[in-house]
Amino acid sequence: MVHNSRSLTKLVGELKKLPGVGEKTALRLAFHLMKSPANVSALAESLLEVRARVRFCSTCFGITENDPCSICTGDRDSSAICVVEESQDLLAIERSGAFHGRYHVLQGALSPLNGVTPAQLRISELMRRIEAGGVREVVLATNFSVEGEATALYLTKLLKPLGIRVTRLAHGIPLGGDLEYIDAATVQRAMEGRSEL
Amino acid sequence: MRLKKISLASFRNLQKVELEPGARFNILYGNNGQGKTNLIEAIYLLGTLKSFRLAKNSELMTWGTPFALVKGMVEHEGVDREIALVVEREGKRVRVDQKTIARPADFFGSLNVVVFSPDEMAMAKGGPDVRRRYLDRAVFSGDAAYLGFFHDYSRVLKNRNALLKKDDNDGLDVWSEKLAEAGTRLIARRIGFLREIEGLLREFYRSISGNGEDVGIAYRPHLLDRERLPAEGTTLLLEGLARTAAEERRTGATAVGPHRDDVEFILNGRALKQYASQGQQRSFILALKMAEIEYLRRKFDSPPILLLDDMTSELDRERNRNLMEFLKQKEIQVFITTTSLQNLRLDGIDNHRTFLVSDGEVSQQR
Ligand SMILES: [Zn+2]
Repeated sequence: MVHNSRSLTKLVGELKKLPGVGEKTALRLAFHLMKSPANVSALAESLLEVRARVRFCSTCFGITENDPCSICTGDRDSSAICVVEESQDLLAIERSGAFHGRYHVLQGALSPLNGVTPAQLRISELMRRIEAGGVREVVLATNFSVEGEATALYLTKLLKPLGIRVTRLAHGIPLGGDLEYIDAATVQRAMEGRSEL
Repeated sequence: MRLKKISLASFRNLQKVELEPGARFNILYGNNGQGKTNLIEAIYLLGTLKSFRLAKNSELMTWGTPFALVKGMVEHEGVDREIALVVEREGKRVRVDQKTIARPADFFGSLNVVVFSPDEMAMAKGGPDVRRRYLDRAVFSGDAAYLGFFHDYSRVLKNRNALLKKDDNDGLDVWSEKLAEAGTRLIARRIGFLREIEGLLREFYRSISGNGEDVGIAYRPHLLDRERLPAEGTTLLLEGLARTAAEERRTGATAVGPHRDDVEFILNGRALKQYASQGQQRSFILALKMAEIEYLRRKFDSPPILLLDDMTSELDRERNRNLMEFLKQKEIQVFITTTSLQNLRLDGIDNHRTFLVSDGEVSQQR
């Protein structure tokens, strides 16, 4: 028993599972939460609510409360699909206001090292959307990491033979950078500078 | 470039150390296991953020402490900069003049260091991995982008190897293309570096050996036609991968690429490894290190700092004199570790500071 309290130890343990949270941060967060009981119930409620209401859109696989999501059902350009790794990337591009088409969230990137092969990604679902017709351009907005680039190349090889315009965001983005952390202006520039593959 | 001050806290066995090195020769002496090489390692780390002993972060911290701290004051072109490095289990953080550095490239060139140790003396006889490691380190010291390219290549390689071990190889062609692309970037820079230093190597070797022997250094790619590199690197690597497909499937490891390549040391047109005497091999490595130092001096308009770790027994009187003469001429700051001041040949060197390293404590001797 590290902290003389079984429940506190458990909370720290749960917090440590979150990305970017180590032992020290987990402890700080736990003590902070203990000091403000009002926040605790609000936080606990919203966690449960998110869990109960948020799901993945069955068309684009972005997060949504209504399936299909408002982007998939809305009045958007349905001839262009922007492919991203995660829902956060979708949000980053939406915030920039630079793209007016629809999205497809792969829910990851190719990484055999982490056991992710094409079958684990939402690639077959993307292909089904394209086979249904009406898509003229696919914008590949996977990250500029080794895995993101490999994923973009894999998709290019699948999509090019179908006679679809395939573009990639330009490198206005810091190398190895995750889309999620990039400001809107950078995404806009990258979107403008996208290039044919 | 000169290190004016260095302080360490909970770095390996060095609990708390502060010293003010001299502008030229600094001798760190003491028995083995007292912390001399740890001190050298700390200086190297301050320049490269890497341990030349390939140590993990946790090994750099004094046992039972949460972090290690290395701080140095570096003078370059009349400007003092403070570099502070915090080593934690999860990673390293670096600040230059109190400002946090986010990308290694922004840090690059703050403190250039070259290490010369018995490991490198063994390069002439050792396996390709030793020479490859040396080459990568040397290329990186003059080219900030190389580290990023190196990491990318390693990542592609690990992914590709993982895929080769699976039953379902879907996507292998993609990883092969990425490997060829990333691999060519490394090969091109390695070859570029070797071409740049070959002339210097030849020059220094002649002045050491004092005869007409000719030396060379060449990139030796594994299973690829060296004549067509680096221009056709991507094509060659893809062809190589196709040729070795059966072997790869059997071994589950990528068979061609910069991770398998070697560097050939040449004396009078023949392989140094087989045809040279021990003395010739030592002269070659010494000349190679001088070439590396001179290459960095030209690149940054200022000589790097040289760390001579445990080299007293490796160089005989004549070669030692050659090296010292070179270092004096080029006005290089040098750190030398030794177990015995008697064995150290400081012929004609009056401008030096001596530090005794004993049980993790460092004290300047007057
Ligand atoms: Zn949707």
